[in-house]
Amino acid sequence: MEVLLGITGKDFTIVAASKAAMRGATILKASDDKTRALNSTSLMAFSGEAGDTVQFAEYIQANIQLYSMRNSMELSPTATANFVRGELARALRSRRPYTVNLILGGYDKIADKPTLYWIDYLASLAPVPYAAHGYAQYYCLSILDKHHHPDIDFEQGMKLLRMCTQELKRRLPIDFKGVVVKVITKDGIREQEYEDDVKVAIP
Amino acid sequence: MDSLVSQYSRPVHSAEGPSQDEHQELSQTTPPLSLQFSLPPVAQSSAWLRAMTDDYSNPNCPIKIAHGTTTLAFRFKGGIIVATDSRATAGNWIASQTVKKVIEINNCLLGTMAGGAADCQYWLAYLGMQCRLHELRHKRRISVAAASKILANLVYSYKGMGLSMGTMCAGVTPQEGPALYYIDSDGTRLAGNLFCVGSGQTFAYGVLDAEYSYDLDDEAALELGRRSILAATHRDAYSGGFINLYHVKEDGWVKHGFNDTNPIFWKTKLEKGEFSNVTADLE
Amino acid sequence: MSRRYDSRTTIFSPEGRLYQVEYALEAISHAGTALGILAQDGIVLAAERKVTSKLLEQDTSAEKLYILNDNMICAVAGMTADANILINFARQAAQRYLLIYNEDIPCEQLVRRLSDLKQGYTQRGGLRPFGVSFIYAGWDPQLNFQLYQSNPSGNYGGWKATSVGANNASAQSLLKQDYKEDCNLKEACGLAVKVLSKTMDSTKLSSEKIEFATIGRNKNGKIYHHLWGADEIDALLKEHGLAKPEDTEMTE
Repeated sequence: MEVLLGITGKDFTIVAASKAAMRGATILKASDDKTRALNSTSLMAFSGEAGDTVQFAEYIQANIQLYSMRNSMELSPTATANFVRGELARALRSRRPYTVNLILGGYDKIADKPTLYWIDYLASLAPVPYAAHGYAQYYCLSILDKHHHPDIDFEQGMKLLRMCTQELKRRLPIDFKGVVVKVITKDGIREQEYEDDVKVAIP
Repeated sequence: MDSLVSQYSRPVHSAEGPSQDEHQELSQTTPPLSLQFSLPPVAQSSAWLRAMTDDYSNPNCPIKIAHGTTTLAFRFKGGIIVATDSRATAGNWIASQTVKKVIEINNCLLGTMAGGAADCQYWLAYLGMQCRLHELRHKRRISVAAASKILANLVYSYKGMGLSMGTMCAGVTPQEGPALYYIDSDGTRLAGNLFCVGSGQTFAYGVLDAEYSYDLDDEAALELGRRSILAATHRDAYSGGFINLYHVKEDGWVKHGFNDTNPIFWKTKLEKGEFSNVTADLE
Repeated sequence: MSRRYDSRTTIFSPEGRLYQVEYALEAISHAGTALGILAQDGIVLAAERKVTSKLLEQDTSAEKLYILNDNMICAVAGMTADANILINFARQAAQRYLLIYNEDIPCEQLVRRLSDLKQGYTQRGGLRPFGVSFIYAGWDPQLNFQLYQSNPSGNYGGWKATSVGANNASAQSLLKQDYKEDCNLKEACGLAVKVLSKTMDSTKLSSEKIEFATIGRNKNGKIYHHLWGADEIDALLKEHGLAKPEDTEMTE
């Protein structure tokens, strides 16, 4: 029951990932960060098979950073997304595929636009204005369908995220221990403080 | 003459990048992280291993792997406490009551053992070797983060082939301070303050979580570690034997005994009045 | 025994020089001139085509200017056969990048891929360096219009205006004299024919003897590249009074 969420607005992309690291019936860690920054304008959030997730994310991270070093320029979020998809698709046809679902948030400095990509473990790639993986899809996509607009400002974006996490807290049967929230803007990637202990009432 | 012809007739683009020989030379300057094992000639090694070893589905399986454990480790202001039980079971059979489940990697690093006993012993010994080589190569002790990552990457390279390990790496280094990592054979690697691993983990968590605090003093921390293992040995049939206790400090680890659970249990019950479900009266 | 020596053609001489590379550079300095000029709104490439015999079938297609991908073209000076190998390699590299990243390869990266390949041939035993210099003109979203040049040693650099091949020293000094930073593509084309007319042996030019290509931005902002047809080249020559008069051609 891992939660991944992504929301774009007029000049930002918000990416949120649940903090629980579960193994069997045990939460091993309640402050896990399921995201990796690829370069100053791309961030990857991941969920899926234990072990595969971090291995794949760090493999991609290393390759994107190698690109930056070799070419003294950063790969655009769009090119990054296509590269990630390609690597996942290549692995899919190998002896041991990566079972990883991804959300790739970014900011395109040349087009001056936020970007968000949804990628699943079968290597489907889709550019989207908002995204979710796992059970979060069933609850949050309807909320986002109703309330999201491409030109929302950052405060409205955070309000939308709050609506999503509150609904998940209310209805998901397993506690996901809140979310890590990262924001990507033209100035780079930052972690956003996020209050996880807001009470929810079930009507 | 043939070699001369072949020299010139090779396709143009093969000249790009290092040649095979050069490549081998480059890659062999450091020994490979993963050892080269010959694998059984079967399509699905994990399925084959299960067929051979899973005594739950097949009580007559030819190999019975030693399983069943409670291990725990937690960080606190005085360093790290590492505690384990000592029972090894193979199916319903108690194979040993005196297993050393804390592996001394070097005088500052400890590893714990849960899951396949052989897997843990073998790979933690291998980790010890890599740590020593790191020390020789770099003239300083390896960080716990790096050591745990060697193990995590190693087991990940064997993912799906039937390795079964749940281990913790605990150590204190000048650059990190006290550091604790959880690594399992799925390839998961997590840094944290507190972990319990094994079939008795839930029982240990129960006691440990309730009274854990980072500001525990040394005595209280050791007692909490001991008591948590005791709780697990009492309720988990696959845990028992002796309590193995370690305290990792800045200048290395200190062993705090390998003590029989039985007297500890009765002492706890009679002196503190705990375990009240167990009757001490004989009539 | 002789293999020990002739399979190592690219080794330093006692004076510290790589003769094979210098010979390759020398070979290029006899080839037809090629030049490139960077303008505000595009780039022009021009090249001299050496007409060896009147009997030779005049190929209508370009033989010194090539398209590498959707946003890059190049001019060749040197051995055309060697250039074909490199151009094929460049086209494949560009497509491979497009396949992986779904984005056109940044110009400098493509130039570097080619230069790395060229460099390899100055170091590896038994192989002759490529006898080709290139001038590349391209556009990418990061750095917009760019002009590069590379030579057989594997060195490359970015330029505002440059030339390679025969008389490139005089072409270079003419460009230095007359180049204006804020020129537009049309002015750059004018400068290109002017320089070519002075560096080429024949006094009057014709579309048979030169090739032209431009890369620029069309009305709706898209990048185009264009290899000029004979009529377009003749029109340009006429505009600058450099065309060969019709009647002299008849009497020749």
